[in-house]
Amino acid sequence: MCLNRNETAPNPSHFEESEEAVAAPAHREIAWNDYRDLIKGMRFFDPHIHMVSRTTDDYQAMHQAGIVALIEPAFWLGQPRTGLSSFKDYYSSLVGWERFRSSQFGIKHYCTMGLNSREANNEPLAEQVMEILPLYIYKEGVVGVGEIGFDDQTPAEEKYYRLQLELAKEAKLPVQIHTPHRDKKKGTERSMAIALEHGLDPSWVIVDHNNEETVKSVLDQGFWAAFTIYPFTKMGNERMVKVVEQYGPERIMVNSAADWGISDPLAIPKTAALMKMRGISAETIRLVTYQNAIDAFGKSGQIDVSDFESASSIDQTEKFHGNSILRGGQQPAPAKDSLVIQ
Amino acid sequence: MLQNNPQPESDLRGESRHKSELLSNVMSDFIKDKLWAIIALNTSPEEADWLQQKGLSDPLELMTAFVAVPRSLPKKVVNVSQDELSALSTEFSGFSILGWSLVRVSRVWLLTQLDPSDRHEYVKNIETLFDTAEMNELVALYSALPLLSYPDQWLFRATDAVRSNMGFVFDAIALHNPYPEKYFGEPAWNQLVLKAIFNDKPIHFIEGLENRANEQLSITISDFAHERWAAGRTVSPQVWRLVGKYMTPALLSDMQHLFGSENTEDQKGAALACAESSLPAANNLLIQYPNLEQSVKSGVLTWADLEH
Repeated sequence: MCLNRNETAPNPSHFEESEEAVAAPAHREIAWNDYRDLIKGMRFFDPHIHMVSRTTDDYQAMHQAGIVALIEPAFWLGQPRTGLSSFKDYYSSLVGWERFRSSQFGIKHYCTMGLNSREANNEPLAEQVMEILPLYIYKEGVVGVGEIGFDDQTPAEEKYYRLQLELAKEAKLPVQIHTPHRDKKKGTERSMAIALEHGLDPSWVIVDHNNEETVKSVLDQGFWAAFTIYPFTKMGNERMVKVVEQYGPERIMVNSAADWGISDPLAIPKTAALMKMRGISAETIRLVTYQNAIDAFGKSGQIDVSDFESASSIDQTEKFHGNSILRGGQQPAPAKDSLVIQ
Repeated sequence: MLQNNPQPESDLRGESRHKSELLSNVMSDFIKDKLWAIIALNTSPEEADWLQQKGLSDPLELMTAFVAVPRSLPKKVVNVSQDELSALSTEFSGFSILGWSLVRVSRVWLLTQLDPSDRHEYVKNIETLFDTAEMNELVALYSALPLLSYPDQWLFRATDAVRSNMGFVFDAIALHNPYPEKYFGEPAWNQLVLKAIFNDKPIHFIEGLENRANEQLSITISDFAHERWAAGRTVSPQVWRLVGKYMTPALLSDMQHLFGSENTEDQKGAALACAESSLPAANNLLIQYPNLEQSVKSGVLTWADLEH
């Protein structure tokens, strides 16, 4: 893992091109205690986060900060896969183990299913993945096909991107597009043009990892524009505040895309706090950190807000004989500041 | 597809296997009809039509429908009358759908509609569903195990569910499910009960808990309690219902420990366990606590009082 932020090895998918790392911004400490009050009572929905690479501490911190639901897009493993089985196991974990793990921390877990653009380049394997993908996209809680799109922008990537757009159309699912790190502007335009060519309604397509350079065209063409608040390589949240000030809240959403790189699972609550400090209205904050994601991915018919808006966040259908201990049990929260472990 | 399916014959209970193979067809017809009647009462005509049509379709479409049920049926717990519940459990001891979601009942019903005549095809289809299942699908699959054809085929899967750390999946095999009692060998059975105890599950919901009590289990429970006590933790008092018949001098000292506990439920558990023992020493210990002895012997105190 490239933990040195000046290193440019393209390993974790979101941790690349650290040009900003060189010109590090002025250091500002805002501790949890300082911003907790600013976001008190707010609810957040993170529409892009890779929980398989996060710890239980993250889950607890997210829950504490008001994140009530999230979407985990299917992506790669950080290293090449050796066969179809690892795809099956990974897809199953998104709707199985990880979903359960999340539920233990009171966070509703959804996912999008897809063949990652990097992995589309292994064509023999990609071919097999396309055969099993339909088994997964109809599953409960699958809110879209994603994250798909371009990485290197090779012909193979284009081929599987197109095939998956067709799959999404057939299954009546939204599409979550990953836009490339390199040659982003062209890659974003190309992704959108192809989606339109396949007859997708742009209001069913979420274009991810936008920046100041891409956002206008995305919004103008009627797509959803998602922004990833990710240190050094993607958006910083101060820039995000400016984007929202300029474009307003319509069809804009914020995510963390937290993964195995240096990323922040609290990117959304922190950005909300910053927006509040900068005088952005509570309603605008609610739209870009919660409601817009629900409206976009809710087109799948798979999001029932009562699952996470009710105070208990307990799915009634998962109760067993009305006995909550049988739900699989939520994890007790240990006293983190205590030296003593019981 | 299942790559390895180790099924040591010793892990299978021969007598019940034979009996249940004979019974399985008759039984599942009855259960199928009952389940359908309950589904019909809990769905709109359109929803019921959709499901019925899927139940009649070819295996691939039926399996896709199994996955897609939540896209066509509402998310709710089924309403089921006490009469219907009794009918189910009378016909098929231990089988209960109390508290099940409509989706779960419908998925289980769909599985009963799969044509079992070609064993190879049937097993392959069920295994594919297991291999690609998400959590709620796993719950439905494990709930359906007692209703599937070729019950001995699913033994490895069933023990895998006991290994699961997903609480809902473990519950689906361990609680209110008649499959383990019928088909698990002693080591697998003991593993199920111990894991339920370890995870503080309400063990009185395990079908066959009393029938399948055994000496080895009682010894392991004692060891487990010692570890808990050494760590300053507690043990659910109802676990001692599994040791009465297998009381030993070593277990008697555990009983003594419990009688000395500040938790009155520990004392009650010890009294009930001692009363179930045929060891004279157990009775001698019990009579030192006349109040408890009287509650037990008069039937005022039973294990039901410790079932939480």
